[in-house]
Amino acid sequence: MAACGLFRSLFSNFSTVLPLLTRSAPLSPLRLACKPYFRRTLASSSRLSAALKFTDKHEWIRVGDDGIGTVGISNFAQEALGDVVYCGLPEVGTQLAQQDEFGALESVKAASELYSPLTGEVVEVNTLLADNPGLVNKSCYQDGWLMKMTIAKPAELDTLMDEAAYERYIRSIED
Amino acid sequence: MMLHLRRTSLLRGWSGVCRCQTGNQPSRNSSSSSTSSLFVAPDSSSAGLVLHSQSTNVYQNLALEDWIDANVDLQQRSILLLWRNRPAVVIGRHQNPWTECNLPAMRRMGIPLARRRSGGGTVFHDLGNLNLTFFTSKKAYDRQRNLKVVTEALRRVRPGLDVQATDRFDILLNGHYKISGTASRLSRKSSYHHCTLLHSADRSALSTVLRPSCPGIHSNATPSVPSPVANLLDHAPTLQWEELLDGLVNQYNAEFGFSSALTLVNPTDESVFPGLSRMETELRSWDWTFGKTPKFSVQTLLDLTDGRSSARSSAQLHMEVKNGLIESCELDVPADWLPRRLSGELVNMLVGERFCPHGAAAAVALLLRSESGELQTRLHHLCDAVLSVMG
Repeated sequence: MAACGLFRSLFSNFSTVLPLLTRSAPLSPLRLACKPYFRRTLASSSRLSAALKFTDKHEWIRVGDDGIGTVGISNFAQEALGDVVYCGLPEVGTQLAQQDEFGALESVKAASELYSPLTGEVVEVNTLLADNPGLVNKSCYQDGWLMKMTIAKPAELDTLMDEAAYERYIRSIED
Repeated sequence: MMLHLRRTSLLRGWSGVCRCQTGNQPSRNSSSSSTSSLFVAPDSSSAGLVLHSQSTNVYQNLALEDWIDANVDLQQRSILLLWRNRPAVVIGRHQNPWTECNLPAMRRMGIPLARRRSGGGTVFHDLGNLNLTFFTSKKAYDRQRNLKVVTEALRRVRPGLDVQATDRFDILLNGHYKISGTASRLSRKSSYHHCTLLHSADRSALSTVLRPSCPGIHSNATPSVPSPVANLLDHAPTLQWEELLDGLVNQYNAEFGFSSALTLVNPTDESVFPGLSRMETELRSWDWTFGKTPKFSVQTLLDLTDGRSSARSSAQLHMEVKNGLIESCELDVPADWLPRRLSGELVNMLVGERFCPHGAAAAVALLLRSESGELQTRLHHLCDAVLSVMG
């Protein structure tokens, strides 16, 4: 997704020891108590699914046992985007090549393009987002999933980042 | 003469920079002296460019934005594009034109509709409205800073003018009249933020066209937030275009440390903007303008009362519209007014058609020809009522 990377200039003036995510997430004692918060977020999502892979545009894909990939945007992305007010998603049956634009999220920040993590066909889109686009912010790894797709070229998965690599990537663009 | 030459060579130099995104190709341009600075890696004085579109066609100008976004390397430089359009209504990426604007009035007035790629709400453009587009890398995306260029420029040309940017990125005059609205788009590597600026727009045309086409539409498309508006000229009667443009260019340069002069560009020149006309064609298409409307439903009561009988009659209409096409349709017409067979046939004709009076009219014309007399008159009446719902 296209919003990320630009907000580091907004946040770079803020000098706190808390990582980016705790600054803008709603505060709760549990979140403030743990550090690094960012690692904890990814760890909790990885308990739910072991196979999260990330693109450099902050989309994730989780491959199910049936070989279907579920696609969404990362926590870093949803925070950078702000409140999502509309999800423009593709039609079922749409053929996508890796990095093709597959839709757009409109938020208070801007209309931001979404890029397909892999080559494949759209088999399902999250219809809950039509009436509740905020799910993308509230539950970006679970209820706020965007679409599901077939995986036509499994080798492309190797071009994506695993959680640890994505975490390093986030840190590097924050610097 | 020198100025003309400088402008022309700036254009050629600029297009050279655009095409070679990876580096410098000083051999590309034969006149080296005044363009050579554009081919080297931009230092702070050449890192900004101010362009003024010679076109007043809304589709060409929107396509020009798309072209710059797709073709210019904005990592090292930024661009301010100034443009105006002949009267047009422009809706945001995810909006519903049937709820946002009065399509029948626009047809009568010859005002076209365009859907832009950025988000946000619906605006009316005419030659009294200035559009500013700030192109930067995503890293440098900063809407408040861009709006500060506008408010500072206005305060400099007319000290004491009460203009303020809000946290919704509107600019208000005297605390409550909207003179500018903002929208933006983030793509692969770059971003653009554009805003309007009301100088001397036709406010009566604006309020005529910015109302719904038809009642009864239920949609989760992004809605506009209506605001009372004012023209700068009404509050600063001596502020002419030239002074406003100069002020904006100077302030843009001052704010970002650039020293760019205003360069005229012609989006119809394919040698400078190859592929722009293809982008324009896409923006003009029905599939983009109307077909991109988020799924919506229409529920409304059609008044079938004709002048002849005193009996009131009405029909319940329910349609689901997806991608601008009628996906499903229910029409509940009293059987004593029109046989169910006929209202059923009308429904069959409509499903799959564009939600558009012209598209559907051709389909229903066929049906009308098959009937005669009183039935035909009533069927015609029903068809007109249904078509009028489509804007």
